[in-house]
Amino acid sequence: MSSISQIPVQVLTANDGLTGQAEAVLTEIAEMLSRFLETGKGDSIDLRSLPLSPADKIWLDEQLGRGEVEIGIDAGGRSVVTETAYAGVWKIEHRDTEERIVAELIEVTAMPEIVQPHKTDIEKSYNTLQSSLKQIS
Amino acid sequence: MDKGETLLEHMERQGMSRRTFLKYCASLASLMALPPSAAAAMAEALGKARRPSVIWLPFQECTGCTESITRSHSPSVEGLIFDMISLDYQETLMAAAGFQAEEALQNAMKENYGKYVLIIDGSVSTGMDGAYSCIGGRSNLDSLQEAAKGAAAIIALGTCASFGGIPKANPNPTGAVPVSDIIKDKPIINISGCPPIPVVITGVIAHYLTFGTVPELDKHGRPKAFYGETIHDRCYRRPFYDQGKFAKTFDDEGARNGWCLFELGCKGPITYNACATSKWNDGTSFPIQSGHGCIGCSEPDFWDAGGFYKALSTPANPLKYVAAAAVAGAAAGVAVSFANRARKQKAKSEHETATTSDLEK
Ligand code: SF4
Repeated sequence: MSSISQIPVQVLTANDGLTGQAEAVLTEIAEMLSRFLETGKGDSIDLRSLPLSPADKIWLDEQLGRGEVEIGIDAGGRSVVTETAYAGVWKIEHRDTEERIVAELIEVTAMPEIVQPHKTDIEKSYNTLQSSLKQIS
Repeated sequence: MDKGETLLEHMERQGMSRRTFLKYCASLASLMALPPSAAAAMAEALGKARRPSVIWLPFQECTGCTESITRSHSPSVEGLIFDMISLDYQETLMAAAGFQAEEALQNAMKENYGKYVLIIDGSVSTGMDGAYSCIGGRSNLDSLQEAAKGAAAIIALGTCASFGGIPKANPNPTGAVPVSDIIKDKPIINISGCPPIPVVITGVIAHYLTFGTVPELDKHGRPKAFYGETIHDRCYRRPFYDQGKFAKTFDDEGARNGWCLFELGCKGPITYNACATSKWNDGTSFPIQSGHGCIGCSEPDFWDAGGFYKALSTPANPLKYVAAAAVAGAAAGVAVSFANRARKQKAKSEHETATTSDLEK
């Protein structure tokens, strides 16, 4: 091969690689939202369990957009909980201490479970605070 | 960890939070194809579990299985599971050698008789009374028979222990057989793969601790939670298969466009494993994503299955779900993925809060 221009490079358009799966996910999210409005019951989709192509993932992210809230959690690695442009639809990305993604979820709820402290932990913190106060006084 | 301590107590003592644990369970639920709502129920049950003694014996193997698992677990979330077990004997990892090591094995078996989990990697040589593979002057066949007696359950780790693997490939000079050909009176869980996916073993141990039972197994003795679907079921190139778009060579336009590798010999349609979702190399990729077909390493006799580049017979009845999703505008694509889960009888808990009894199927 005599020149670099002879290498047959092809530029793909943004829609190459879209499979139609992402559109189906979006429809599913809409159904989950309507169920949440009717019953108050949240639900979630495990994005890694679906055969989404890299292009599908980008498309889905673009469709969902970003809302006002972003919550960072530091527990055994970083987790980021982001509100999408649709209130009540959250994107959750869990990473381990080596920054590997270990779970990617869409959660339809008012506030994702991982954000809320467990009741036992709140009880414990109340006791700890009480004993700290005793030590101070 | 104190053996009487529950896992949650142990973790709290180490300064780990409940959120870390919940997160671990979320990743485990994802891998086991359980609905995401199952994570909380799993965390609840696992938190109360006590850790079992584990004895791990290597037979006719290449240590790839041990490499696969130990390389993955450094300070990662699935590494947590190594806190959940008491690994009392593992030749590659333990400091002791020679007589001390053999003594450690005997002690571990005696102290935990009837309760330990026995992990075997490698096939068992039966030729010349097992003389092809010996450790400390004893054949693997002999060691297996002794260690199996006191085991509560046996995990056959890797394709060699599960199905005989490469040692058993034609002409099988050492008379290699899987663990299940020798031991008939104990529950055996086959975790096949050459090597197996690291998180599958932690998942199986997590299941054992969560429910105190062996998970539901397929006809080859593999846990359905991880081996319930084919690579093809979860392959992101699947829509191209359904559209009949196949790469014909490894560098043609189809290959560049990421089309299906079926005609290049991909064994994804007949291979049950979780590579397409759990992936390899820290979640980077898996063979098909790197442009090579699946070689079917988690299936019995994959080495003698007629060539890695020979296409399976013509694809039959493609699902055509992409078209259905696009035309109907319904959640058909997601529905197909969910239908796969339904095979595992778990779809019913999709829209309900799952309890551990829902999961134990
Ligand atoms: S044949 Fe292989 S590459 Fe093609 S969709 Fe199935 S698993 Fe993926």
